[in-house]
Amino acid sequence: MSDLAIASPISSLRRLPGVAIVLVLLIALFGAIAPGFLSAANLSNVLVQSTILTMLALPMTLIIMTEGIDLSMGAVLTLTSLCVAIVSLATQSMLLGLGAAVLVGTVFGLANGWLVAIAKIPPFVATLATLGMAHGLSLIVSDGQSVVGIPHSVRDIYSAKLLGIPVPILMGVASYGVFHGLLYHTRFGTYVFALGGNRDALRYAGLSPTRLLIAVYAIGGMMAGVAGLLMTARMNSGHPTAGLGLEFDAIAAVAVGGTSFERGKGWLLGTLLGVLAVGVLRNGLNLVSLPSSVQVASVGVLVIVAMFLDGLRSRA
Amino acid sequence: MSDIAKDAPPPPWSFLSHNAAQLFYRLLAALLICIVLSIANESFLSLGNILNVLRQASLTFFIASGLTLVVLTAGLDLSVGANVALSACLAGTVIHQTGSPVLGILTGLVAGGTVGLMNGVMVTAMRIPSFIATYGMLWVLNGVTYWYMAGETIHGFPAGFRQIGSGYFLGLPIPVYLLLVFLAIGTLFAQRTVWGQEIYAIGANPVAARLSGIPVSRRLLLVYTVSGTMAGLASIIFLSRLNSAEADIGESLTLPAIAAVLIGGTSLFGGVGTIFGTFVGALILTLVLNGMNLLSINANWQPLVTGIIVIIAVWLDMKTRRGAT
Amino acid sequence: MSDRAVGTAVSPVPLLELRGISKTFPGVKALDDVSFAIYPGEVHMLLGENGAGKSSLMKILCGAYTADAGEVYAKGEKVAITSTADAQTLGIAVIFQEFSLVPFLDIAQNIFLGREPKGRLPGTIDRRRILRDAKRVLDGIGFDIDPSVIVDTLGVAQQQMVEIAKAISQDARILVMDEPTAALSDREVELLFALIARLKADGVAIVYISHRMAEVFALGDRITVLRDGRRIDQVRPADVTPDQLVRMMVGRTIDMTYPRHFAEQPGELVLQVKGLSALTGISGIDIEVRRGEIVGLCGLVGSGRTEVARAIFGADPVTTGEIILDGKPISGEPDIAARRGIALIPESRKSEGLALLRSVGDNLVVSALKKLFPSRLYDPNSAQRTADGLIRQLRIATPSARQMVGLLSGGNQQKVVIGKWLAAGAKLFIFDEPTRGIDVGAKSEIFALIDRLVAEGAAALMISSEQIEICHVCDRAYVMRDGRVAGHLARSELTEENIVRLGMHHE
Repeated sequence: MSDLAIASPISSLRRLPGVAIVLVLLIALFGAIAPGFLSAANLSNVLVQSTILTMLALPMTLIIMTEGIDLSMGAVLTLTSLCVAIVSLATQSMLLGLGAAVLVGTVFGLANGWLVAIAKIPPFVATLATLGMAHGLSLIVSDGQSVVGIPHSVRDIYSAKLLGIPVPILMGVASYGVFHGLLYHTRFGTYVFALGGNRDALRYAGLSPTRLLIAVYAIGGMMAGVAGLLMTARMNSGHPTAGLGLEFDAIAAVAVGGTSFERGKGWLLGTLLGVLAVGVLRNGLNLVSLPSSVQVASVGVLVIVAMFLDGLRSRA
Repeated sequence: MSDIAKDAPPPPWSFLSHNAAQLFYRLLAALLICIVLSIANESFLSLGNILNVLRQASLTFFIASGLTLVVLTAGLDLSVGANVALSACLAGTVIHQTGSPVLGILTGLVAGGTVGLMNGVMVTAMRIPSFIATYGMLWVLNGVTYWYMAGETIHGFPAGFRQIGSGYFLGLPIPVYLLLVFLAIGTLFAQRTVWGQEIYAIGANPVAARLSGIPVSRRLLLVYTVSGTMAGLASIIFLSRLNSAEADIGESLTLPAIAAVLIGGTSLFGGVGTIFGTFVGALILTLVLNGMNLLSINANWQPLVTGIIVIIAVWLDMKTRRGAT
Repeated sequence: MSDRAVGTAVSPVPLLELRGISKTFPGVKALDDVSFAIYPGEVHMLLGENGAGKSSLMKILCGAYTADAGEVYAKGEKVAITSTADAQTLGIAVIFQEFSLVPFLDIAQNIFLGREPKGRLPGTIDRRRILRDAKRVLDGIGFDIDPSVIVDTLGVAQQQMVEIAKAISQDARILVMDEPTAALSDREVELLFALIARLKADGVAIVYISHRMAEVFALGDRITVLRDGRRIDQVRPADVTPDQLVRMMVGRTIDMTYPRHFAEQPGELVLQVKGLSALTGISGIDIEVRRGEIVGLCGLVGSGRTEVARAIFGADPVTTGEIILDGKPISGEPDIAARRGIALIPESRKSEGLALLRSVGDNLVVSALKKLFPSRLYDPNSAQRTADGLIRQLRIATPSARQMVGLLSGGNQQKVVIGKWLAAGAKLFIFDEPTRGIDVGAKSEIFALIDRLVAEGAAALMISSEQIEICHVCDRAYVMRDGRVAGHLARSELTEENIVRLGMHHE
């Protein structure tokens, strides 16, 4: 009887070390070699800069848990950021801008979901194609130019503080709270685990994997819309290539954070730590005056190593 | 089973496409686009424009032909565009430093092939799914290239070297000759060698291929290396055509290459497709983009249209597959 | 029938009664007029060889198949089971060998998947209640575990318990278990048996499929023996001996004779396997195969036969042991085995043996490419000639070599798989269930083909779940049990009874 009794929730924490160790090592490394890294101002800066990535990486976690991927997220973010800029410029209303961005993002998310769940096109190719489409639309609506002169109401979001805490950090924390609740405390979240873990179990229970899958991708698009507002606020403009490639940082954060491309194994807190690891890596490399190109390459290596280790673990 | 009518003997063009009807429709589509464009804009039929289309298509084809082999094994190589950029920058540097185009060309080919080999190792020995491995590689290459170039542009190459991309021979651009040569080599390799047959077998059913005694890992290594080497070749043509090397030249190359492969009838699920199909695919894509140019549609529309074309091509593939099984 | 008499002793009305159930698949009568009643609080053992009709019966119970003929009564009333939902309504739950659990959800979430108690906010789950309810269900089956434990961290036995809890929480009154102890350790088996006793006491009926004689006698209240899709007898454990049960299971009718020309003297040693172990669960395997022999490899499904075949062929990595082919050791990937002249005809033709969307010709030459084209230049015409030759030689019914192989019948597909190894010039053929899903006529053709192969100097190792085939076709046979060779049977000892005796947990 004993081995039935000793299994405990502690075992679910076994995943903690990987990403946490990476994060601690990175902080220690840059704390030692990068001047000013550990200053409050810089750490706050890392957090603020990580917000947009958090907003992408959270839904990306859900998508990857369903054994899918969304390569279009960065391009959709760029497009929604332009939407915020253009609409708020025209209407002088931040909320209308946000509404337009969320709408456009959700439409792209639904399109991705449709292509994957109903047309059954492999997620990698489907979202690569929508990446092209979103990138094209960004170039078209902006005519390849930056959209400048956006209202203060948008710009201020990025620099505003509430109770002394920068608003972007609050938005990031709030997003994490919402996704945590969604994944761990709702029926929908439960079914996300089942989408990747055992779709037959869903069917036995009389639930439709198709609709759930579309919803997961739609949430991804929607979050790209929300993040679009922050992106525009941060750059104080809309730029047709602003967010390109950000999906890769999001995928990196998710992969490093211990979410697996197989069997619906997902861990939201791991993703958050993964986002911070990517943020620290980029910020630290920046402080030691290594160009952004080196940052990009190291994130690429990070993903390949994480995927390799994930594969080893799942085969063991 | 016996009531199925006896097959006709294989048609002589069977090495061009597995499905004569498919090939016919694709050529028909290309022809239709030509007719529409020649009506819409008289300069379409000008010799200059036609040669331009062919040269343009040849650039897409070089990348797409290697990629076709990867897709035939049910894999994907998302790093081809970034590979072209890195190979071009390295080759450009070597030519500048040594003054020897031959060394430069070798550098480009070797660099491209090495990247491909690394992709192959990740897919086989490290068992990372090809799309993730090559996607990671894409960003590693981007980073390395930007870091290496540090915002610089390498400019101005020997006239002889520039002939490769922009020269003419007997009235035809040299890339068009190269296109024909590699179309022939690629088709021969895929259709008339044991390796080609094994690649088709791997794509059709990797498990059965392994249990039929095919050395699957070694063939996959070969395929990814070839794909990388073809990207290296494309980088040479780019370099000599643009007469300059910059870190960002690869960014807009991957999606069109994938589009050309898929329009050409190669199935994402492996085992079906031909190099000739990819040539037709590259031609159709180039015609569409060229037509948009001639009709003064902003170049900003190109990624959107390419994305839509990819979706349509995959959707058609899925439809014919569902019909077949 | 003794049905009624036995039944009255337990309870007057059966929970579920099947009368005259028949089910036919193309070429096979899977179930033929089977009647069978399940009473509350009893464990009903289903016994039979591989292919006797147990799993078909199980699938009819859970609504995965619909019977062609026969009637179903629930508590005396006529009902129809046409879907899994129907089965659920009737309180029937099947504990499959592959679980229907979601690995990274906790026990409570798995038990109530799709039936979560609603929380205060829309869409949320009442966490406290789901844990409480789960705890109650788990307590009810005597499984003492925290319901918030993630299922992936559980062992096989514990996952099985969760599966049972899930079924019980859906008010299942009839549990169907398919070899539930197959993957369990001895101690886990004890736990499962304790649970079964408890469920019985609560009036749950259990249909239990087993190959282990000890379990049959330890657990069973009644035993139904199936053979060739027919119910042979229904008995109480007290009234029979294990030997009597084995005799009921075997003695299948022979619907044809298999041609076989036994060699006078076995030829020289072709394959020698010494102490072979692999991560796939086989250990200490010793096997020898000689020229001109067909050596059987039998045992129950899951006893490790396929794993032995794959290890010899290099398809799975070997941990210890030696494989010697023609006196020289061999190791490595399948391409090396193939080059050395080993052929594997895998069990699952469609997923492992053939590229279904490619042509008959492409499939026939795929293993022989290097042999046919030493220059590495492929000539489609020459490949087609080779394929045409094989099609004629093996009498493969296909309009041409260009036909898609997926369109052929099972028997002809199997001939294509064998044909590709003929083309490659293999000398040791390993057949894994070569006649699975093949009609009677094609079967004898396949056997004639194997006979001809060994008569011409090849050697063959043949896995089959059809003991009767082994007995008629093989020179001798190894019997496997739990990943080991349990015994060797010479030609004179080769009877179905001996095979079953060695293969089951019964000496």
